[in-house]
Amino acid sequence: MNIIEEFTPLFAPKTVAVIGASTKGNALPNVFIRRIREFGFSGDIYPIHPAAAEIDGLTAYKTLADTPKPVDYAYIAVSGAQIPGMLAAAKGHVRFAQVISSGFGEVDEGKDLQAELVSAAQAGGMRLLGPNCLGIYTPRGRVTFAEIGPKETGHVGIVSQSGGLGTDIIRRGLARGLKFSGLVTVGNCADVTPSDLLEFYLADPQTRVIGMYIETAKDGRRLFDILRNAKAAKPVVILKGGRTQQGLAAAASHTGSLAGDDRVWVALARQTGCMLVDTLDQFVDTLLIFQSLTPRPQRPTQKVVLFGNGGGTSVLATDYYSRLGLDVTPFAQEAIDALADMKLPPGTSITNPVDCPVGTLQQDDGRVAEKILDIIYSQGKPEALVMHLNLSAFVGRTKPEVLDNLVAAAMRVQEKYPGQSHFILVLRSDGEPGLEARKREFRDKAVALGVPVYDEMANAGHPLAALATFERFKAART
Amino acid sequence: MGMNTTQDNPVVAAKRAGRNALDESAGKQLLAAHGVKVPQSRVAKGVADVDAVMNGLQTPVVVKVMSPDILHKSDAGGVKINLRSATEVKAAIEGMLNAPKIKGARIEGFLVEEMAPAGHELVIGGLRDPQFGPLVMVGLGGIFVEILKDVSFRLCPITRIDAEEMIAELKGAAILKGARGTKPASMDAIINVLLKVGGENGLLMQHAADISEADINPLIVSDTAAVAVDARFILG
Repeated sequence: MNIIEEFTPLFAPKTVAVIGASTKGNALPNVFIRRIREFGFSGDIYPIHPAAAEIDGLTAYKTLADTPKPVDYAYIAVSGAQIPGMLAAAKGHVRFAQVISSGFGEVDEGKDLQAELVSAAQAGGMRLLGPNCLGIYTPRGRVTFAEIGPKETGHVGIVSQSGGLGTDIIRRGLARGLKFSGLVTVGNCADVTPSDLLEFYLADPQTRVIGMYIETAKDGRRLFDILRNAKAAKPVVILKGGRTQQGLAAAASHTGSLAGDDRVWVALARQTGCMLVDTLDQFVDTLLIFQSLTPRPQRPTQKVVLFGNGGGTSVLATDYYSRLGLDVTPFAQEAIDALADMKLPPGTSITNPVDCPVGTLQQDDGRVAEKILDIIYSQGKPEALVMHLNLSAFVGRTKPEVLDNLVAAAMRVQEKYPGQSHFILVLRSDGEPGLEARKREFRDKAVALGVPVYDEMANAGHPLAALATFERFKAART
Repeated sequence: MGMNTTQDNPVVAAKRAGRNALDESAGKQLLAAHGVKVPQSRVAKGVADVDAVMNGLQTPVVVKVMSPDILHKSDAGGVKINLRSATEVKAAIEGMLNAPKIKGARIEGFLVEEMAPAGHELVIGGLRDPQFGPLVMVGLGGIFVEILKDVSFRLCPITRIDAEEMIAELKGAAILKGARGTKPASMDAIINVLLKVGGENGLLMQHAADISEADINPLIVSDTAAVAVDARFILG
């Protein structure tokens, strides 16, 4: 059985068993039943209950072995001590069991119970997810533990050792336009590890970008081998918790004493082309750029053009991007001359950064951007263009369609010069509720066009640098 | 490589003898077996052997005490450099036998070794991470490694590109290219040692089960060659 066949029952289950739902309908597993029904799960749901005949209007069964059809995915949230017996009794009738319950290996007194759980899952013939996790979110299978999340199936595959962060990733993804091929919380990783899911996502045609939140990598060597053998076929973004706690407590050698902190993870990233990020925001930001843009190893991103309104913002971004290893350098003379010939209003800076006050950008209701960008693309030859719009400077001064026209103009230039430049949009706002609402609406439109949208120049800088690093890695190694 | 028999494998021999580390001589034997250049050396049991041992070695030589009880030979007065004759070597050994920190120790002999020609001092290290297995490290010697911790790590096995990037990543990398009138260090020589230690069939991969930590310190690199002048391997 290949890895796709092995994990299909998890990502697209036909039958789901639920242990822990109460006849009163108020336990977490009852909520889970409600959520997957709302999410459009169309397979069979089997509540497992020692006494009840029916739960939430569904026929209940006494054990996992009693269901009419074999169980692809079992969601289990009852007190820990009962669970090993239930799994062992499944007798090959269950493919995946996800144990939400805690009180296992994450606490000293639960370590034995976790060992018992693992042997029970083996005896019962199933793979075990968790314990101590929240569940799965798999839009292709219409199964979710999360209250809200994107309805559509996307291309970003996630594995998270933290359930709470898993929820954050889904919710922020929804707000930012990320669409997922799946998200699995793995908790204590007693059986299925992040490496197993990495292997699946690498093979899964639906997944194009992979994100991992990792706290401990017990099978670190296997993780390294999988990533190394993958040869950066898909971008992998790693958010690593506990990077500062590594290192040898009692090293006898020089080398040992120098190995502390996160050097292993830095080495892993440099050798395999995966990308390390430090915060949840960077994680989502980086996944978003890879979801939206196709890496271009044949011409790695180095030369960046900044175009928009806000002189100080351009100057700060130029400094920040150069610290990230990106070049925001002035155009050659012919590009400057061509832009000068446009005779843009005073206050417009045309060297890169190209700083255009609103007075300039609203010419021809925003369509002026097409001419400016045409010259930038044909003469300046950027490898990435970051267009930044400070929304507060537009609202009340320009017609509402100016913003739309600006982005539409940029998209037309993108199409005219295919493969020339990555295009990124930064929509700057100030927290004022009306402006935020306008921004959200405008962002959704841009994301729907496949444009990655960021809140600030710095937020766009990290993912852009990650994209550049990934492209350079592929250029040098593959 | 070429260590398929147990009797010529210093790791197996040290384990059999119940040691938790390779002594300097065994460490260099291991490096030499993996194709890393080490200085010519012989072991003198005592003063009486010196004339025979010196025969065939180029001067100047260095003498180092060999003892399982002495971890830091220099601090104990167990290293004498720049010795130009058998007479000077004998005097050095006699001096060591009377040094307070050596007198009471178990002494297995004295390593008499040709001195490496001048060059850049580097450190190459190895480490077995409990989750990730063997790692290889490189850094510039002296204050760069000790104070500034200017080192780079990679997971074994490394490729040639990894080795190049490890060196390029050092803040002091420019020094190796020859700064302030010094000769450049041979990049090829450093890369070759890194590959022999941390590469696909390298020392750390082959002995991953036995070697927990390693220090080659210093590795002296001239514009043509790299020589491992001292080495420690911790077993376990």
